[in-house]
Amino acid sequence: MTIAAVPPADAEPADVDMSTVDLSDRDWWTTPPGYRHAAFDRLRRERPFAFFAEPDLPGIPAGPGYHAVTRYAHLEAISSQPAVFCSGRGAVSMQDVPAELHEFYGSLISMDDPRHARLRRIVSKTFTPRMLERTLDSVRAVVDDVLARARATAAASDGAIDVVADIAAPIPLRVICDMMGVPEQDRPSVLANSNVILSGGDPELIENDDPLTAFLTAGMEMAALMERLAAERLAEPRDDLTTALVTTEVDGEQLSHQEIASFFILLLVAGNETTRNAISQGLLALSEHPDQWARWAADPALDRTGVEEVVRWVSPVTWMRRTATQDGEIGGHRFTAGEKFLLFYAAANRDPEVFADPQRFDVGRDPNPHVGFGSKGPHFCLGAHLARRELQVTFRAVFDQLPDLEVTGPPDRLASSFVNGLKRLPARLGGER
Amino acid sequence: MRVTADREVCVGSGQCELLAPDVFEVDDDGAVRVLQEHPDAAAAVRDAVSQCPTGALSLAE
Repeated sequence: MTIAAVPPADAEPADVDMSTVDLSDRDWWTTPPGYRHAAFDRLRRERPFAFFAEPDLPGIPAGPGYHAVTRYAHLEAISSQPAVFCSGRGAVSMQDVPAELHEFYGSLISMDDPRHARLRRIVSKTFTPRMLERTLDSVRAVVDDVLARARATAAASDGAIDVVADIAAPIPLRVICDMMGVPEQDRPSVLANSNVILSGGDPELIENDDPLTAFLTAGMEMAALMERLAAERLAEPRDDLTTALVTTEVDGEQLSHQEIASFFILLLVAGNETTRNAISQGLLALSEHPDQWARWAADPALDRTGVEEVVRWVSPVTWMRRTATQDGEIGGHRFTAGEKFLLFYAAANRDPEVFADPQRFDVGRDPNPHVGFGSKGPHFCLGAHLARRELQVTFRAVFDQLPDLEVTGPPDRLASSFVNGLKRLPARLGGER
Repeated sequence: MRVTADREVCVGSGQCELLAPDVFEVDDDGAVRVLQEHPDAAAAVRDAVSQCPTGALSLAE
């Protein structure tokens, strides 16, 4: 299905032709966010469990379809009952994961307790506020270096930079690769494979319109990197996450090859893509709301609430999936075992039942109980504290070191329902602000 | 006020450690340890208990 005309960015809910809204159509996700949120308003109000067919991807059979959960209360109720609404049949794809992809993508994000909790606790200590406090200086050093390089790039190209390639992508890539112990020369391939894995099938990132082969190839390359590093760490352990994955025993056993490979891929991909899009789309939102830019830049006390508002506003991960393990009823909707539910965090984060004036971008918003890192339940974002830290350091550093940053053109949006991503965001340095 | 933790349910998300660092710590096993069983910081501890993603914390007055 294609969209007949480009819908207006400032659409009101009443303007949306609901017959054209198909959450499975990746092109729909490149429409302006204002239009998409107007459509979410209608769904939340009128069809809180709207049913959609699954998309056809070559080589990946479509299943029975899914319900789009758009109200905050419903989303929280489902997320907090993992025994009734499981993750083990797939959390990050509308379709069940084909067997050949399971080795690389069957990670703890698509796993249920007790196994999920046991695996997660191997790394959870590394991501706690206390432990991350120790890495603050290294995050600052990465951010300062990336911004200095962006300045140099601008100087060599008449002021022009790409916010995505020059600021938003390198910061989380370097931070997570440092934590995992990925050598410098392997990082470009980590970035390229992350992009494929979370492309949502965007044709720019998938060769020959063959997503199954592309996902397999990306998974195999990441697993090959893991195997090399695993052998090195077993011979010579270090103080990094990869060493923890290959040396820790759970229930008296080492992790299986499949568990290590999918865990390694999850940490690298999730550590990369989500924070990148919070940075790029956060800077876009600030440039669209210059009053909020000026207010936040002038007041470091807003770093905490500003970052939370960016995560609410952007909702870098648009949804996660749950599958019913039994028959039941929720919010007046009767469901049967096997029904799929997509939890639309992006919609819940603008629910007027929870957020005052939800379509307003307010860097001082407090309280802000957003679900940008997930809702109640065992799958709450493992990297939330790391992401907060990276984002607080990055926005403050941009305000201080790149006060002349000016977005010069519209962004190029990733055609994905799953990741709210930007591929490019043109900007310039050196102009008058 | 007495606070207890269920370490089987805990996934070590560290939300409690963020909100009340004197009372909670995610330990080397990746699960929460209660540092003060009878904490003073009542408001922060109530927040931590109510915001725990897995409901691993409970309070008795």
